Amino acid sequence: MKAAPFDYHRPETIDDAADMLGALPDARVLAGGQSLVPMLNLRLAYFDNLIDIRGIRELSMASTLSDTVRIGASVTQAEVELNSDLARSVPLVARALPFVGHFPLRNRGTVCGSIAHADPAAELPAVLVALGGTVEVTSTSGRREIPAGEFFLGTWWTALKEGELVEAVRFPIAGDRSGCAVREVARRHGDFAIAGSAVHVEVDDAGCVAHSGIAMFGVASTPVHAREVEELIRGARLGDLDIEAVGAAAVAGLDDIPDDSNASSLERRTLAAVVARRAVVDALSEATR
Amino acid sequence: MLHACFVRSPLARARIASVDVEKACAVAGVRGVLTGADINGEVVDLWYSQVGPDVPRTPLPPLAEGEVRFAGDPVALVVADDRYVAEDAAELVAVDYEPLDAVVDLHAALDSDSLVHEGWAGNVCAELATPTDHLAEAFANAAHVVETEIHQQAYVACPLETRGLVVEWSPADGSLSVWASSQSPHDFRQFASRLLGVAEHKIRVICQDTGGGFGQKINAHREDIVLLLAARHFPAPLKYIEDRRENLMASSSRRESGRVRMALNAEGVVQAATIDHLSNAGAYPIPYPLISSAAVGAIFPGPLKYQLGAFSTKCVFTNTPGLTAYRGPWEFETLAREVSLDAAARQIGVDPAELRRRNMLSRHDLPHTNALGMTLTDMTPLETLELALEAVEYEVFRQEQDEARAQGRYLGIGISSYVEPTTTNMPHHGSEGATIRVEPSGTVNVYLAGGSAGNSLETTAIQLTADALDVDVGVVNTVQGDTALTPFGSGTAGSRSGSMVAGAIRETAAILRNRIAEVAADALGVRAEVIEVAGGSAFVEANPINALTLAEVAHHAYFGKDAAGGLEASARYHTQAPNLWANASHICTVEVDIETGLVRILRYVVAEDCGPMINPNVVEGQIAGGVVQGIGGALLEHFEWDVDGNPLATTFVDYLLPSTTDVPIIEYLHMEGSPGPGPGGFKGVGEGGAIGAPAAVANAVADALSPFGVELRELPLSPATLLRHLADGGAG
Amino acid sequence: MSEHEISVVVNGARRSVRVPSRLSLADLLRDKLGLTGTHLGCEHGACGACSVLVNGEVVRACLMFAVQVDGDEVTTIEGIGSEDGVLTPVQAAFRDCHGLQCGFCTPGFVVTVTALLERNPAPDDGEIRTALSGNLCRCTGYQGIIEAVRSLRSGVEHAD
Repeated sequence: MKAAPFDYHRPETIDDAADMLGALPDARVLAGGQSLVPMLNLRLAYFDNLIDIRGIRELSMASTLSDTVRIGASVTQAEVELNSDLARSVPLVARALPFVGHFPLRNRGTVCGSIAHADPAAELPAVLVALGGTVEVTSTSGRREIPAGEFFLGTWWTALKEGELVEAVRFPIAGDRSGCAVREVARRHGDFAIAGSAVHVEVDDAGCVAHSGIAMFGVASTPVHAREVEELIRGARLGDLDIEAVGAAAVAGLDDIPDDSNASSLERRTLAAVVARRAVVDALSEATR
Repeated sequence: MLHACFVRSPLARARIASVDVEKACAVAGVRGVLTGADINGEVVDLWYSQVGPDVPRTPLPPLAEGEVRFAGDPVALVVADDRYVAEDAAELVAVDYEPLDAVVDLHAALDSDSLVHEGWAGNVCAELATPTDHLAEAFANAAHVVETEIHQQAYVACPLETRGLVVEWSPADGSLSVWASSQSPHDFRQFASRLLGVAEHKIRVICQDTGGGFGQKINAHREDIVLLLAARHFPAPLKYIEDRRENLMASSSRRESGRVRMALNAEGVVQAATIDHLSNAGAYPIPYPLISSAAVGAIFPGPLKYQLGAFSTKCVFTNTPGLTAYRGPWEFETLAREVSLDAAARQIGVDPAELRRRNMLSRHDLPHTNALGMTLTDMTPLETLELALEAVEYEVFRQEQDEARAQGRYLGIGISSYVEPTTTNMPHHGSEGATIRVEPSGTVNVYLAGGSAGNSLETTAIQLTADALDVDVGVVNTVQGDTALTPFGSGTAGSRSGSMVAGAIRETAAILRNRIAEVAADALGVRAEVIEVAGGSAFVEANPINALTLAEVAHHAYFGKDAAGGLEASARYHTQAPNLWANASHICTVEVDIETGLVRILRYVVAEDCGPMINPNVVEGQIAGGVVQGIGGALLEHFEWDVDGNPLATTFVDYLLPSTTDVPIIEYLHMEGSPGPGPGGFKGVGEGGAIGAPAAVANAVADALSPFGVELRELPLSPATLLRHLADGGAG
Repeated sequence: MSEHEISVVVNGARRSVRVPSRLSLADLLRDKLGLTGTHLGCEHGACGACSVLVNGEVVRACLMFAVQVDGDEVTTIEGIGSEDGVLTPVQAAFRDCHGLQCGFCTPGFVVTVTALLERNPAPDDGEIRTALSGNLCRCTGYQGIIEAVRSLRSGVEHAD
């Protein structure tokens, strides 16, 4: 189980990386490599050129801006997980990270890499969608920003165009009266979810939901923005929440639920409703505590 | 060192129209590519010591020729300067496959028009059935007849170290050196000798630090065979280390199915029982599987008293990896019996613990000849059950279960008791040798065939030797796993090592103690009969002040004026009993989240009887490892194929081994009061954990879900499976 | 395929070596540097047997290419144990608690536990289990391993 041959490149600036990505044939960005390298070792993926971005200083920063947290492309999941300031600013990200593989994998795996890899059962893409985050991308033809809602196109498929690399992702900073939760059903700790739900809620002084961001994962070819649940719970209080309706709303719009050896579409639908319900209750409990 | 990589079939069944190795051979660093046409004809004789030469020889080509018979079937061997290049070249071997209909389903195989092997009608590899006429009356008169059908998914041994070996042929003297990951170094040598027609003493097999085996590494597999044959084609050491994908898709599989019928009287006492058993032989079983398969039927009565029984068993060829030994090869009998007992308890309306009390043998009932003619001795089935019930506080749990149900939480408790024939005296396994040498300095080396694959045989040997010679463990060392250095022994298999090694050391140490006494007597000028050997020294009982240390005795033995003979002994132990019966009762408690189907194990209690324990840490370590493999089999592990025979779990992302977050703390209770008829009363304990656990977990889950009328009939009990059963409202 | 001169400090000693781009860190350690204590159980990052420390953080050596550690510090099981054979507290606890049987997964566990305790000297039972859930063992049922780590928690007297 050894990778096929490739050429390795280690640019030191973003521009050099973009140049390489534009010029070299069949090139791929290598960040933490925790998703890419297994596929290379198994020879499920082949690339002529790998561009290692961990030597680019500008990509290694995570910073808190006025209303967002910006995480550079080579920032590892562990760096975010262990940074208590970041965890306070974007608690849903911090809440999701312990579900991402295991800590040795998070020591190398990057937040942006997980998002760019776009596994539909992964937690971080769903968090990005739930929070309405933004992906900053760059290429030789310039920089652009892609809203979370437009980034994920399918399994391992994103709106990144040929020659574009992710420079950073941005998550909006949580308000004071907020709560969040990640709930998932996986066969074992650290496995990809059979079905999962990431929920962020903000409440007003009366404890009513003022705003929420909810996404489902593992239940389609991309993370799914659960707008119907957000609509349903707007203005609701924990005590008068119709939790059965929350579950139903979370799965109402799903029409291409995966069917595999871990669960049929039907069972996944059942599980998705359960995790959505539980995550909303958890998040709302936290917000109103 | 050269490195090998196999080209494997991507299809479960296909005709090989052609194999073109030209492009692969042209890759820089490639030393050669071998196909079946190149090496299959070099096989001199191929059979397995465990079953002997006289059983039917199922087809076993080293490399596939003409047809591939499972996805993963080795078709060619690429040899290159390193494994990276070998894998590059393997991708360039062009095999033209013409797909054929694959035989995958175990039941459908029996009626399939497709044959896995020409000439094996109905895809039947082996079968055996006992008469059933004598049961008719019992079933006709039974107050209750319970019928269950149980399917155990394919799950695999999965040692953390994959299979692998290094072979080095020395043409000048016609000798072969092999470094293998094997449980049976001497048998590997015998096998290689027969295979190659090379004299046994010209072959040296070294097995050190084998990284887990669990049965998978008892016998040489086709990959080993190919490497042994390939050794003579290359003028350098040749290394093959299987990768994980290969280990999962091609090393072995075990998949079974059974239909159980039990006749019970009004009091819930089993009057008669039968099992019809199907076992997946795969395409290339190793060895011929009838013995272990028949054991499922013969041991099916287990710890139960009933005297009317019958069984049938069929091993079925399919286009899947071959059946080979896996820890507790007859484990299915326990799963089938114990799940059926719980089903019977629910059907009759008797508590499952109480039902067992009415049916299980106590030590006072032994010896007992079971319904299939096996004589059970020296065990404590009912006693371990009571011990486990007490430890788990069964009645208290039942109250907690009721209270939890009232709150919408579903707890369950599952019992599984088994009896296990360990340390059989089958010819190949019935004897074991040891050499013990007191070195000139007075330190001790004990030489044993070995084959330890993580079962602590090194610790056991040192401890037993220290006890037998009454010396400190710190002065004893052991040499194992090298056919050039150690006496013949047949390796680690069938929970035999503890007792057989104890016997070999006992026999040898007895001789050596006499020798120590003789030498000491000579040095002290007394008769040997008055010498005591104890506490690391030899002395005259009446005059211990003049004791000689073992070092002084050794010095005298090697360098004294009458130093003939040194200070070592060799002997063999032959076991007389047909086997040593061990037993245990496992009790597991679980909580099932009925919304998600997730199972959490709360407690796991094992009350076992392996006789006196040589080393409690080793005993408990073996139990724990086995139990967790069984938990994996019950809840997680599934080596699954699609309808075309494509494997769906070829990585550790899909084949789910239990991890730290999936296992409970295991609680152990030991009964040592029924020693076996072997040395020290020790009985085997290597496999039991894996035998008892699947049924205990399955019964606990079924118990938790009993309010929903759910009867579980297949493993693993994944969330999806449980949700499906719950949705069906018990129809499953 | 590109080749690269890399310089890496392995177990305290600087090593300069030329590597093909695709050579894994694990194969560099095992085959080129002779440090065979790093074991390969799956080569796709799922079993943890190849765990090593890179700049003090535990990582999978099968999921890194050797060229990626140019300029870094790598510590393997050989660098965790002392040269004179005296066991570290983690190793001693594994021995004392019967935390290893075949030993194949053990280097990865010892490296991971060493890193865990560095980060969190007093993990509770849940933290221990979660932290080790990425390391697979097929022999011990994890009982002795978990017991070993529990015995190492700061504030816990180590049993002889």
